[in-house]
This record gives sequence, C-alpha cells and structure tokens, in this order.
Amino acid sequence: MIPLGHALSFAAALFVLGLTCVLLRRQVIMILIGVEIMLNAAALVFVAASAYWQQVDGQVFVILLMAITAAEVAVALAMVVYLWRRKRSLVADEFNGMSG
Amino acid sequence: MSETLLFLIPLLPLCCAVINMLFGMRLPRLFAEIMAVTGVAGAFLLTLLFWGYAEGEGTRAILFTWLNSGTVDVSFALNFDRLAAPMTLMVTGVASLIHLYAVGYMHEEDDYARFFGLLNLFVFAMLAIILADNLLVLFLGWEGVGLCSYGLIGFWYRKLENAKAGTKAFLVTRVGDVFLGIALLWLFAVTGTLSISEINAQATSISPGVVIALSLLLLLGACGKSAQLPLMTWLADAMAGPTPVSALIHAATMVTAGVYLLCRFFPLVSLSAVGMTAITAIGALTALYAATCAMAQREIKRVLAYSTMSQVGYMFMAVGAGTVTGAMFHLLTHAFFKAVLFMAAGCVIHLAGNENDIYKMGGMARRGPVELFWVFLAGAVCLAGLPLTGGFFSKDGILLALFTHPDPAYRVFWLIGVLTALLTAFYTFRLVYLVFAGEWRGTGHPHAIPLQMRWPLWPLALLGLVGGMLNLPAFVGGDEMLHHWYGDLAGRTVTASHSVEWLLIGLAVAIAALGWFAAHWRYRNYRPAVENRVSLFLLNGWQADALVDRLFVRPFTAMARFCSSGCDRSLFDGTIEGLAKMASRYSAMLVQLATGRATTYLSAFAWGFLVLLGWFLLKLVNGGGH
Repeated sequence: MIPLGHALSFAAALFVLGLTCVLLRRQVIMILIGVEIMLNAAALVFVAASAYWQQVDGQVFVILLMAITAAEVAVALAMVVYLWRRKRSLVADEFNGMSG
Repeated sequence: MSETLLFLIPLLPLCCAVINMLFGMRLPRLFAEIMAVTGVAGAFLLTLLFWGYAEGEGTRAILFTWLNSGTVDVSFALNFDRLAAPMTLMVTGVASLIHLYAVGYMHEEDDYARFFGLLNLFVFAMLAIILADNLLVLFLGWEGVGLCSYGLIGFWYRKLENAKAGTKAFLVTRVGDVFLGIALLWLFAVTGTLSISEINAQATSISPGVVIALSLLLLLGACGKSAQLPLMTWLADAMAGPTPVSALIHAATMVTAGVYLLCRFFPLVSLSAVGMTAITAIGALTALYAATCAMAQREIKRVLAYSTMSQVGYMFMAVGAGTVTGAMFHLLTHAFFKAVLFMAAGCVIHLAGNENDIYKMGGMARRGPVELFWVFLAGAVCLAGLPLTGGFFSKDGILLALFTHPDPAYRVFWLIGVLTALLTAFYTFRLVYLVFAGEWRGTGHPHAIPLQMRWPLWPLALLGLVGGMLNLPAFVGGDEMLHHWYGDLAGRTVTASHSVEWLLIGLAVAIAALGWFAAHWRYRNYRPAVENRVSLFLLNGWQADALVDRLFVRPFTAMARFCSSGCDRSLFDGTIEGLAKMASRYSAMLVQLATGRATTYLSAFAWGFLVLLGWFLLKLVNGGGH
C-alpha cells in the first residue's frame, strides 16, 4: 500500500511539471501535452484518494476524466490542424489576433 | 358710417403691401406701381373723409380683442384724435407724393415688388404708431418701422456697405427700442392698463420719481428712432438707401416718430421737470452737433441727413419747452421742405450721373430743368429759415418758447438754438451754391428725369413755403390755427410781449441773412475744399463712429474673444480634451497587456491561480482549520 502522502507528492510534482511545460513551451502541441500531464496528475489524486478512503467514486471519476480528455484531445488536434492551415506554423505566440 | 371704418386708413397700405409682396412680380409692373400709390393716396383721402371724427375728444375705435388673459386686456384699438389727425394727413399726403416719385426713380429697378411692398408696409407701420391707442399696437408699429427701414436702407444689399448701413440702423434703433420696451412694461405695471389715453389720464397719480424714470426711458426710446444723441450714428449711413427711402424716412416718417411719441405722452412727460430739461438738452445738443457736422459734409444726401437730425433736435427742444404745438408745427413744415429737398437731391444726383459729391457738381441751375433749381431753393430757404417761409415761423415759434420759458436754464438752450439757426443758414446756402452755382465740375453723364420725379416736387415746395399759414403767430396777424386745433393737447401757451416777439423775429431774420451772406462770401465762386483736422473731424461726425467703436464694439469683441478662445476653447475644451487624452494614454498602457498571445494569458492564469492558492493557504493557516 503506497501511503497517501507519497501519491499526493508525486501527483503534485507531475502537476508542476505539466504546468511548467504549458508555461514555457511555445509549440501548441507541447502546450497540449502539458495540459494532458496536468490532467493526469489530477486523475492520480482521485485514484489515490479512492484507495485511501476505500471508496469507488474516485475511480469512476477517473474513467469520466479519461473520456473527457479523449474528447478534448480530438477537438484540440482538430484545432491544431486548422491553425497549421492558416499560418503554416504552430508557434502559439504567432496567433495574436486578439491583441488589443 | 361706423367709426370702425377708421381702420381702413392703416389697412389700405397694409393690404397693398401684402399683395405686392406676395404677387407683385407676377402682376404687370404698372399695376403694382399703381396699387402702391393708390394704397397710400387712398389712406390720405380716407383721412380727409374721416376728419370730423378727430374733432372734440377724438374717436376711439376697437377692431377686435388682441389678447385677453386675466387682468391683461389688449384690444386692437385706434385713437383718431386732434393730435393724430394732422400727423396722419401729413404722413399719408407726403408719402403719396414720395410713392409717385419712387415710381419714376425706380423705373429701372427690377426688384420693384419688394421695394413697393416694403414702402407700403413702412407707411402702415407709421400709421400704426400714429393712430395706436394701445401700447402694444404702438410697439407693433414702432418695430415695424424699424424692420422696414432695415429692409429699405439695405435695399441694394448686393453692395456690402449698403447692407451694413441697414444693419447699423436696425441695431442702433434697437438700443432705443429696448428702453421704450422697458418704459411700456413699467407703464403697464404702474397703471394696470395698456391704453395710452387711460395712462395719460392717470398720469398725475403716478409717483414723481417713477415719472422721471419713465420720461427718461421714453426719451431714450425716442432718441433711437429720431436719431438724437447718443443714438444718432445710424442716420447719416442710412443714406445708402434709394433716395425715395431717404425722403420717406427723413421727412414724413421714422425720425418724426420719436417726436410724436413724446407728444403722445406729453401729459405724462410734462409732469417731470427733470425729464423736460433732459429732452431739451438732448435736442439742443443734437441740433448743434448735427449742424456742425452738416457744414463739412461732401455728399449731398449726408448734408440733408445731418440737417434732419438738427431739425428734429429743434422739435425735441419744443417738446422740452412744453409746447406740443411748436413741435408738431415744425414737424409738419419740416416734413414738407425736407421731402422736397431730398427728392430734388435725387433729381440732382440723376443729373450728375450718380455723382454724390457736391464738390464735383456745380452749375446745376443751367444743366437741368430750370424748375429743379427753384423747388430746391424753395426747400433750402425753408430749411435756412428765411423770413415768411414755413420753416421760419415754425423755428421761430420754438425759439420763442425757449426764450420765454420760466426756467432761466432754457436761455442757454435758446442760445444754442440761435447758434444752430446761424449754422443751418450757412450750410444750407453752402449746399445751394456748391450744387447750383458756377460751372459744372463733374464728369458724369446726366440721366433723364422722368415726369413722375418732377411734378410731386411742386406741391411739396409750395406747402413748405406757405406752411407758416398753419400756425401763423397772432402778432403778425395770424390766427394760430394749429394751436387752437390742438386745444388742451397743445401744452404750454407761449406768451410774450410784442416787443420781445418782434425782437426775436428781427434776430431770426438777421441770423438767417448772416448765414446766407457768409455762405455767399465763401462759396459764391467755387474754391476747392480745404482739408484740415477740423473739417475732417466734422466730416466724420465728430468721430462718433470711432467713439462707438472704441466704447462698445471693441470691448464687446474683446469680451467675445475672451469667451470664445479664453473660456470656451482653452478652459472647457482644454479640460475635457485633457481628460480624454489622459484616458487614452493610460489605456494605451493597458492595451499592452492584451498581447493576444495565448501564452501570456496562460501565464497570467497560472499566476492568478497561484495567488488564489496562496490566499486560501493563508486563510487555512490563520483560521486554524475552520
């Protein structure tokens, strides 16, 4: 049995890594990967908590999260294709059409 | 015959004016001209027809109720009494002849409908002043006269200076109108009625201080219309209008409206000694001022304009000396001879090829039709006050009234009057000699003078010469007809011993002769004008225009400039535009945050999340788990 503290620490480290990837990377795809890592860190917390309290709810939620993530990735990758078509580039900073 | 028919007198010119203004250009020209003349001539005949109504206490006629609200009951009322009747007769009579003359004078003018419409409307407005029994009707006529004079002086508005002269006349007389308006409202507040006859009946019950203020306000109102000091600057410039207009404004109407107003309110005005002295002083100063100006003028019509100002000053002096008869007598004779002078001057200008400068005329006696010289001379001797002419008797009556006034201060005014008479004789004969004597000095080609411009001069010249018969003094065998006609409206009866009267007559004769001889000596043989500082000063009317410019126009312009650029543009616009600029500058700084890059927003999101997280942690630590 892995203690809860270890699981939470690992999840937190994973979250920070994902966040760092989101903030520092410039490629749209790398940002999306960062988001996936953060989502997985959150899922990990759910699983750990479910094991700790011996309740199945958390695991159910993780299944739901996976489905949502899959949908999100589908939409996001479709957008990546569109972005590529528009500018032949996937650098996030080049898409500044919303600047004031 | 009902007295309501009296309304036909003013309505006839009004109807003709309206028809001429609306349809004049579509009617045959001859028809428009005939209608304009018959409108006024018809009013003249009607006045003769209704003459009997004026006798005794006169007749009041009410056409309809104009306004009715609470205690205010304004009816459109006329008062055809002994004061109004001779004035009506004179205005319609002289105006008819001027209209006839105008038909000839304007025969080349294309815009005849506007001209004759305005001319008829002018006569209507003047008749409204004369016949009004109601302050509002009087004010309607008063403003109507101002409006028409504006339109007529600036008739040839395509030349900027004509339009400016019209505007000037309008604005300057408007200053007087403001005072008249105050006086009318005050009279209503004091007496509770707008009827002139009722106000005059109640005059004695008004407190003396208010009477003084009211008479001064009425005087200022009269000054505006009658071109007296200090509101006289418009009259000389009003010569920009066509000559019939000058004749109409300066002889029969407009300038005499002020004198008539004071005579109308004489029962009120005469109650205040201060007011009467002020009226006399204004009249005397204007008479002298205008006479000095007339001596140096170069344009024939400007000489006549200043002489009008001067003669109206005499009429004011007469009112101030308490004799309404004297004022009205001079008003009537002046109307005749001044009309003839102006119309003859129009003929002279025609003959000289539209030349106005008397130094470029000369020899007119041989150049034009011979009768022109004689009618002009008839007008001139009346103006100069040569013995036995109408102007001689009316002027002498005024000087006698001034001389015999119980207040010794009036001797000063009398002296001014005598001096003015001398100057008048001088400048009149200067005009005659420069225009008619010697050789032709001009260059213009004469225009033909149509018949309509020639024969209206005769009856007026004749009336001017024999106008003295209207009120021939008793000591030369006259019956003082006008004085008896006015009866209790006539004001003070001037009484003096025969020796004083003969002395004054002798003085008047001597003065007129002296003026003539001086002019004869100086101008019999033409010598070019001497330009020096004095003559320039007089030519420009004592620099009155420059004074007005410096006292009123320039401070006003400066104030307007201050309000415009000082207040509005720098203070208000500056504040608001400054705020706007500041907002736009700071917004530009904020705009830089919105880069439009998703990464910027993401990091902002992360930082915000961190702050929130930190805040919740702090709450957790401080709250101890609650």
